[in-house]
Amino acid sequence: MQLQLITLLGVKLDKEVYEIVIPTVAGEIGVFPGHEPLVSVAVPGVIVVRFKKGDPDKDLEYFAISGGVVEVSQKKVRILVDEAEHGDDIVEAESKAALARAIEMRDKAKDQVELERAHELVDRHTVRLKVAGLRRHRRQ
Amino acid sequence: MASTQVLKSRIRSVKSTKQITKAMQLVAASKMRRAQDATKASAPYTQAARELLAAISGHTSVAHHPLFEKRDVKTRLLIVIASDKGLAGAYNSNVVKLYTEQLLQDDKAGVKNTTIAIGRKAAQFAARIKDTQVLGVYQDLPDRPDGSELSAILDSARTQFTSGAVDAVDIIYTNFISTVSQVPTVQRILPAGLDDTTEQIGTSADATYEPSTAEVLDGVAYRLVEAQIFQALLDSRASEYMMRMVAMKNATDNANDLVDDLTLEMNKARQGAITQELAEISGGVEALNE
Repeated sequence: MQLQLITLLGVKLDKEVYEIVIPTVAGEIGVFPGHEPLVSVAVPGVIVVRFKKGDPDKDLEYFAISGGVVEVSQKKVRILVDEAEHGDDIVEAESKAALARAIEMRDKAKDQVELERAHELVDRHTVRLKVAGLRRHRRQ
Repeated sequence: MASTQVLKSRIRSVKSTKQITKAMQLVAASKMRRAQDATKASAPYTQAARELLAAISGHTSVAHHPLFEKRDVKTRLLIVIASDKGLAGAYNSNVVKLYTEQLLQDDKAGVKNTTIAIGRKAAQFAARIKDTQVLGVYQDLPDRPDGSELSAILDSARTQFTSGAVDAVDIIYTNFISTVSQVPTVQRILPAGLDDTTEQIGTSADATYEPSTAEVLDGVAYRLVEAQIFQALLDSRASEYMMRMVAMKNATDNANDLVDDLTLEMNKARQGAITQELAEISGGVEALNE
């Protein structure tokens, strides 16, 4: 089945895949070929992709995503998100520092706007860190 | 014939104007490249969003969702996107022309009209028009608008629509089709998924909605509508830079022609002066010899 991961900054992935795990508001869902048509809301989290049946776990690929829309149809899975980042592009140390900064910003936020923005950042970097961690574990 | 002095100073002034237009052309060119990349990059997202909206709007239970509700259009909100600055060729006048056409059309159909103006030029024009009421003005948006600016525009459009103050929301922007073609366009944004240009793909009509149709619609519709406004802003900006670049290139070319003409004229004037002087001298010599 075809997976299209589309962000505001362009098409991140457009490939034939076997299995996808997507974080949605109703919990994580796994999608295999022949899944029933589905539309759902994606939440910030980790997308896990297995390209071929029988690929070992170390070949899984991870993407950190922000919220968006998931559309599953007969032959295609379309994920529309504001941002998506490939696990390989995330530097763990950087994410850790960014998360620390975001948490500090949240604790010092003066008004609602700042607080919301900080929350967003914290979510984002938490997800990124999670992706980086997952990748490290699997590769070892 | 003008004196060489006058011509010289005119050449100098045209040359300095040329330097300015040349600089503006280069600035517009580099900004245009970036804007073009941005609008190209987000195009697949918007396209997918449009298809998804169209598909969802075919679903039976969406008719009652506030963003999808179709009503007879008695009042209409137009979001007009123009630029903050002039000197962009026909960019602003094209938008304003389309806007005027839409206003006349509304006037004929007895539809009341309100406007949200984006860009100083759009605001100035809308403020002078009696047929419309200006709801909001947004100026000096960055090339890549982020959430806060976008959601301000979107929120007021949504509030107007869901409260029933307006029955439709259209956006007027300049569609960046290619580097040689930028077309002012009207696009319906609300009610969502009513765009004639998209074909029904019909895959999602019978799809399952998780956790529930209402929740999916709430989470999805807003975002997808937002993407369309975002794309319109990016397209407009790319078109603006493109047209400004062309306008400034023409201005530079004209300045070059003008400098050539003036130089020719100045050379003629100088030669004329020399000839005259010679004639006077030889005339003087003749007179002495007699």
